[in-house]
Amino acid sequence: MDFRFDLIVHYLPVFLRGTLFTIGVSVVSILIGSILGLGIGFGKMAPKAIYRWPFHFYINFFRGTPLYVQILIVHFGLIPAFYGTTNVLMTSFVALSLNSAAYSAEIFRAGIQSIDPGQREAALSLGMTKWQAMRFIILPQAIKRMVPAFGNEFIVLVKDSSLLALVAAPEIMFWSNTMKGQYLRIWEPYLTAALIYFVLTYSLSKLLNYIERKV
Amino acid sequence: MGIGKKVFMSAMVACSMLAMAGCGSNNEAGGNAAAGESIKIATDASYAPMEYMDTDTIKGFDVDFLKAVMEEAGVKYTITNTGWDTMLTSVQQGTEYQAGVSSVSITDERKETYDYSIPYFESTNMIMVKEGSDIKSALDLKDKVVAVQGATTADTLMSDIMGVDNTNLKRFDSNAVALMELNAGGADAVVADIAIVNEYIKNNPKEKLTGILDKENFGSEYYGILYPKGSEWKAKLDPAIKAVIENGKYAEIYQAWFGEEPDTAALLNAE
Repeated sequence: MDFRFDLIVHYLPVFLRGTLFTIGVSVVSILIGSILGLGIGFGKMAPKAIYRWPFHFYINFFRGTPLYVQILIVHFGLIPAFYGTTNVLMTSFVALSLNSAAYSAEIFRAGIQSIDPGQREAALSLGMTKWQAMRFIILPQAIKRMVPAFGNEFIVLVKDSSLLALVAAPEIMFWSNTMKGQYLRIWEPYLTAALIYFVLTYSLSKLLNYIERKV
Repeated sequence: MGIGKKVFMSAMVACSMLAMAGCGSNNEAGGNAAAGESIKIATDASYAPMEYMDTDTIKGFDVDFLKAVMEEAGVKYTITNTGWDTMLTSVQQGTEYQAGVSSVSITDERKETYDYSIPYFESTNMIMVKEGSDIKSALDLKDKVVAVQGATTADTLMSDIMGVDNTNLKRFDSNAVALMELNAGGADAVVADIAIVNEYIKNNPKEKLTGILDKENFGSEYYGILYPKGSEWKAKLDPAIKAVIENGKYAEIYQAWFGEEPDTAALLNAE
């Protein structure tokens, strides 16, 4: 089968722009998502069931529905409700952050709960407050255990951001679809997109391995 | 192979056959079919009223047209809803499906990869805006936000006007989502095939939408049947297409779907 490298070369500049968009959206969303996730994770560990319930629901909703649908709801429902019109950049940040927050919350909760309760009891018996015990004893140990799971979540997020093409966010798949339409050829655009995602996630996993060894 | 495995395998086979049967494949026997000659045709049935699924049956103008052509040519055929991307790859390879019929516009760039039949449908792109919009022609769209279905000629036309790397040109997965974007205020206009726009305006009178025809900037374009490069089917079916257009059968089908007479003279001269 013939493979038209000349078409790829022609589209390379826009693919690069799409890659920057993908990276930007993923980085911002993982940051917002983990901050939200930290709060939600703590919420889910609240002592009273009545306080836990909304966080429980949040996590189950975002893990239990496809991101595809979440993007549509955010784009055509949530964002217009606040802005009056759609805004694809906001959709990208909000949909990915909200989705990522649900997974991050579980990573935080699992990480914190994996620390032996004896650590907390020891800290409290030394006269630390609950907050100090969390801040200085539990979290530092938990975060070390969370790093691989976070890395995984980040990689998943980078790949999932491809779904934003659904609402015309100018990311990698968007340009891939554009190229497909002009020439009605499948392999050149899709394999180029696949290669870009692979390079992104592979470098990311290398970086994460490095960080894992450091912490 | 253990008995359990055998049962499992037969269940798998049965399931996959069921799944294939459910894929929305219309089998039509041609009238006086020559022994054994048959063609498998792929379509993306998500483009009402040209081709669409009515639960599990493929319907639409293209489907009726195809039936008339195959009866004329005396060729047996099946048409299967494969989706757009599968249609493109499998027709390019030509092994599983030997042709694609799915409102595919004929363009020079695409001719580098596929062969086309003679034109069988004249179409043009149309601009759809909300009532009271200041957009009057295609050139007014230059600085606006425009929604299109990606990988269509609307996309190509607007890429030429706005620039292929202009992110104010939003390419959506389907016309349905592009239209939602217009309604949600995220786009100033939608550009799509005239049949799609008219169908949408007709079905959504509450949305207060207007269609703008700009024959000057959006010239006529023609749909063709998609074949792999060097396909022998082109030579076999082109005369049948011509005959169907000339003998009035085409006009009959056209009338039934669009309620007006087609310009068959323009169509026959278009090649």
